[in-house]
Amino acid sequence: MAQVVTAHTSTGGWTSAKRDRARTLFTELANLPADSPAHKVVRDELIEMHMPLVEHLARRYRDRGESQEDLTQVGMLGLIKAVDRFEVARGLEFSTFATPTILGEIKRHFRDHAWAVHIPRSLQERNIEINHAIESLTRELNRPPTIAELARRTKLQDAEVLEAMDAGRAYTAASIDAAAEASGDGDSPYDRIGGDDLALEALELRESFRPLLAALPERERQIVMLRFFKNQSQSQIAEQLGISQMHVSRLLATSLAQIRAGMSDN
Amino acid sequence: MSNEDVDSNRQPSDVTLSFRATTANVALARTMAAAMAARAHLTIDQIEDVRLAIDEAVSQLVNDCDEQTHVHCDFTETAGTLVIQTKATTRSGQPPATDTFSWLVLAALVDEVTAGADNGLVHLELCITRPASVTV
Repeated sequence: MAQVVTAHTSTGGWTSAKRDRARTLFTELANLPADSPAHKVVRDELIEMHMPLVEHLARRYRDRGESQEDLTQVGMLGLIKAVDRFEVARGLEFSTFATPTILGEIKRHFRDHAWAVHIPRSLQERNIEINHAIESLTRELNRPPTIAELARRTKLQDAEVLEAMDAGRAYTAASIDAAAEASGDGDSPYDRIGGDDLALEALELRESFRPLLAALPERERQIVMLRFFKNQSQSQIAEQLGISQMHVSRLLATSLAQIRAGMSDN
Repeated sequence: MSNEDVDSNRQPSDVTLSFRATTANVALARTMAAAMAARAHLTIDQIEDVRLAIDEAVSQLVNDCDEQTHVHCDFTETAGTLVIQTKATTRSGQPPATDTFSWLVLAALVDEVTAGADNGLVHLELCITRPASVTV
């Protein structure tokens, strides 16, 4: 790791003071009851202070067709797992311990979601082309395009566009599991959507609904809130979060399935 | 929510899909809905919303059905509006409650959602209209 990077983003930028701080925090964490508020505070700080490690590792996989943000997000799952499993008494450096777990999650993401494995190359190329066409047509038309408009722009058949979009959206049972795992026992350190909403208050079942919403990973929860309680369109959400509309759709579908499953368990 | 005969004054549907009430079959309804939405020149946002909506509507029915029961989905397009009617004879025979998250989801995803029940046959209609700016 000899490249020049800023202290914020580089593992190499870690000062020994920071390393000591992590060590102290892990020792503290080990001595706190797992369900205490203090445990959560320490755990959150540990997660937050190691986010640059995740960003650093995710950058190794740039230019592979998945967004940096998505990779960081899945890498975070690995980080959280590592924080929860790390035993400071073993004398290992946390970053050494966490790196394989984080990389494992990122690789799993590629295995589950990413192209190469499941989807023939031509479809992948079409998908990228269609995504570009969606962006430019949305700008030109001031609304999302139709399939026919996309077909005209990309010189593909309507059916081919639909097929490619299906492939782009394809999500696996594994991603639902991942969502469930990610919820874990604690909150992630991402920004929250503040405040309750009238629509949420009006729900008769809000008491059973709330924990299901809370169990979603942060970004999925944010997307569900924006789509259903703030009435934003998928395209608007996609633009706001810097991910593709297809990805928003995919995350909404898995989130709704998870909420539905939780509702019928009640 | 109307209690009128679900098929009264309705033109025959363009396409009908009928399948056994299993979770695995929900995907068929989703694929068909997306294809019909594309054919009706809905925007890709609307197509995705229709997929999510039919997922929600059909899942709701399937959860309340015996596996031997069939779920029917009728797809009709008239002048830029896609109407999807889903129906099945459910265990409860009750139309879905409207104060649930599920209903809120449906209402947010499509332009209009209505539901009713007739002698145990529960039906749910979803309507979505393409923007006026789409020329076909």
